[in-house]
Amino acid sequence: MNQPRDFSDERLNAFVDNQLGVQECDEILAAIANDADLGQRLCALRSAKELVRHAYGNVPPARHRLDRRLPVWCGALAASITLIVGVLAGWLGHQATATAEAPGAATSWAGRVFAAEPGRILIHLDSSQSEQMDAALDLAEAYLAKASDARIEIIANHRGLELLRVDTTPYAERIAGLKAQHARVGFVACGQTIARLQGVGVDVELVPETTVARTAIEHVAERVQQGWTYLKI
Amino acid sequence: MKWLQSREQRELVEQIKDSRLRLYRLAFAWCHDAGLADDLAQETLTRGLSRLDQLRDSARLMGWLFAILNRCWIDHLRGRREDFDDEMLAELPSDLPGPDSHVERQETVSRVRTAIAALPLGQRQVVTLVDLEDFSYAEVAEILAIPIGTVMSRLCRARASLKELLLEPPVAQRHLRSVK
Repeated sequence: MNQPRDFSDERLNAFVDNQLGVQECDEILAAIANDADLGQRLCALRSAKELVRHAYGNVPPARHRLDRRLPVWCGALAASITLIVGVLAGWLGHQATATAEAPGAATSWAGRVFAAEPGRILIHLDSSQSEQMDAALDLAEAYLAKASDARIEIIANHRGLELLRVDTTPYAERIAGLKAQHARVGFVACGQTIARLQGVGVDVELVPETTVARTAIEHVAERVQQGWTYLKI
Repeated sequence: MKWLQSREQRELVEQIKDSRLRLYRLAFAWCHDAGLADDLAQETLTRGLSRLDQLRDSARLMGWLFAILNRCWIDHLRGRREDFDDEMLAELPSDLPGPDSHVERQETVSRVRTAIAALPLGQRQVVTLVDLEDFSYAEVAEILAIPIGTVMSRLCRARASLKELLLEPPVAQRHLRSVK
């Protein structure tokens, strides 16, 4: 009579997770027939896997936080403007490939799909730090000074919405002035952030130049899709 | 060709939008804090959109986004304690709010989430990526930037802990049975 083979736990986990080749699977399947203990070990591993799936089949709805932000954002944003080069690089990559498609050139798939067009800039603000608000407005003004026919939008969500709220913005006049000088400048507020604030009893009144998008992420995604250059402050 | 490009754009944007729930679910499984999980998912999408030029293959979008989620999570933990290195992070025991703080009617769900929350972070990440997202060991290794052998050993330890906590009778009961 054959002695039961001693399969390691790592190997049995790999079997349960469908990570083994056909031959290794066959070996284990053949061994189960003569080894009840092996069958039980596998059953326990599979049960543990199913329990994990079950536990997160329905997760609680997202609860947006008003009072705290990820420390990473505070730290990362201290470096003034984070130039979101994704689409811009995609555009530059696109330009490069138009002139010379060198073999092995590292032009990304996304870079080819999303070819940003110059003159349409989306600036994303999600911080209420005055330096970040300043940076967003500075950037818009600087770009318009060089290209007055450009289309610029500032999208604000999370704490960044404070830029566009009447009761919190220190820049109401600056926003009004920018809009008066440049008709193609837009200020967009995240509807989800507004709803969240209203949900906890905050009365949200926006500066008159503002429009509202359903969510900031969707607005960013749509603008990227339309070929806008996306800059995160 | 313009139509094709537009279709590709639409598809990718839709995929990115649709990924939010999956990112949120995994982040929740890691931190068991609905607010933090939502922040992590949001930050992941923001970073993802900003770095689309780094995505080399649309078929690998989710793995790429989960790798960004992992970086967001690590950055968050680093923000809480500055003296961590990656190895310490992997072994970081849970001090996050457990699922008991949330309204959970199903006892099994609550027990499993408690058991997951008790796992060291590295094990928690591996077991949830494999079990919830069905990633291969190689993909998990790439997402978490660790060797595949580490994926296997962490998964092994995680499942052993879960088995002990969830599937085996408590020690006292085992002892009683053996006395009988």
